Amino acid sequence: MEGLEILTSMFDYQFVRMALVGGTLAAIVSAWIGLFLILRKESMLVDGVAHTAFGGVAVGLLLGFDPMLGAVAVSAAAVLGITYMRRKGMAQSDSAVAVMMATGFSLGMIIVSLANGFNVDLMTYLFGSILTVSRTDLLVLSALALFIIGFMVFFYKEMLAITFDEDGARLQGLPVQAMTVAFNLLVAVTIALSIKVIGIILVVALMVLPGLTALQLGRSFKATVVASTAFGTIAALAGIVLSVLFNVSTSGVIVFTAAGIFLFVAAYRRLG
Amino acid sequence: MEPIIEVKGLTVRRGPTEALTNVTFEVDRGDYVGIVGPNGGGKTTLVLALLGLLPRASGSIRIMGQDIDTFDQWEKVGYVSQFAINFDPQFPLTVRELVGLGRVNRRNIGRFRTKEDWESVGSALELMGIAELADRRIGTLSGGQRQRAFVAKALVSDPELLVLDEPVTGFDPVTQERFFMQLANLNQSKGLTILIVSHDLTAVFCRMSRVLCVNREVHGATIVDGTVPDDVLKKGYGEHFHFAFHEHKCRGEFADGRP
Repeated sequence: MEGLEILTSMFDYQFVRMALVGGTLAAIVSAWIGLFLILRKESMLVDGVAHTAFGGVAVGLLLGFDPMLGAVAVSAAAVLGITYMRRKGMAQSDSAVAVMMATGFSLGMIIVSLANGFNVDLMTYLFGSILTVSRTDLLVLSALALFIIGFMVFFYKEMLAITFDEDGARLQGLPVQAMTVAFNLLVAVTIALSIKVIGIILVVALMVLPGLTALQLGRSFKATVVASTAFGTIAALAGIVLSVLFNVSTSGVIVFTAAGIFLFVAAYRRLG
Repeated sequence: MEPIIEVKGLTVRRGPTEALTNVTFEVDRGDYVGIVGPNGGGKTTLVLALLGLLPRASGSIRIMGQDIDTFDQWEKVGYVSQFAINFDPQFPLTVRELVGLGRVNRRNIGRFRTKEDWESVGSALELMGIAELADRRIGTLSGGQRQRAFVAKALVSDPELLVLDEPVTGFDPVTQERFFMQLANLNQSKGLTILIVSHDLTAVFCRMSRVLCVNREVHGATIVDGTVPDDVLKKGYGEHFHFAFHEHKCRGEFADGRP
């Protein structure tokens, strides 16, 4: 009974409620966008861009504007840069990601070493801080998440067509290049949102694990999208609640829960 | 007969080399055309150029009477690429979802699918005889079933021209024969113009009405009684080429009377 009381009483705290709303929205968007990235065989783009975003966060902290804006701007530049390098044949996909990741992260390191005063703040971006999300942060996060969900709903069939067969989609008259650029920008925004929840280092897990888990089920595309967002949401909610209950790292518990669900589903599919 | 494809003086480069040189030919509506030729002769290059997916170095292409640069009716052209064999079998897509992608085009971007879309999907599945596979994932289908699913995708927007690039690679002879017969039925019953890239000369001569032999140049001929003039094939494959043809085997039928 005492445990149940603690569980219900935690919802009396506004910071928990805001974390649950923000975490859920970020998890849905991350899982949905992440599924497309897995199918496009671009999962590691997330890790590269997230580390590049470190430079944007550092610039924001140094110059005194919202570090999330810096993260969005640098992530967008990184995604577009990687796409450009690949298209122009300047580098293979993994090499382009490596170049951007190293450049962005080194920019962050230089700025951090120049300004000694924001090491604590920086930690919240490296490891996530959904429990300290402000009302303004939540409003921005919600607006961006709803915009991304709206895009993915309205352009569901076009994104599926392009992801499955780019040449076929081009022949059908779809604006493949424009939609790919738009999708890549959404990837950048999603990464920036997820950094708030889970941090730069683990953002790849929030975006990739739910999709990988859903793919284990071997269902239709629509069912895979639904399952992916459901797994992401469960991991985020469980992670936030358990981290408050046991006073442990939120991002760590979110990823551990997502990994646990993946292992359970994978084992069930093979043994069941 | 009205031409559906008109190609004049077409030259296409792949890198520094000319893959097609000064090619001129026409395809009429209702033709069932086999595109044959040696490996590296430019068959796929020709198909990609006809679909506007490769730039031209010179020459012109007209599709349905319209210059390819301004052609805006791509939904009337169905295409089954070699991707139909090479796609990722783990991709989470059912046959119904795959065929539904054939209804996506620039005219309905950002719009939700309509009841008519799904009815067309049902009709295409019925037409290809795979309605019972609608909810199966494409990665779980056999080669022949997959190919029929991709043809259904190409047919779902009710095209006037269907282009297939080596659709029967890896098929056993029975499945291949059944597939070509199904396409022949579509050609005859719906008046669909079909272009198929194939290495199987027997199937091309037995089932199709015209042949385009591609080896940087294109040499066309009408197929009469399952044969084409020897010089057409020799121009494509070389003077040493000789095609041994068993006439009585041409009209293949299944022992149990299946179409």
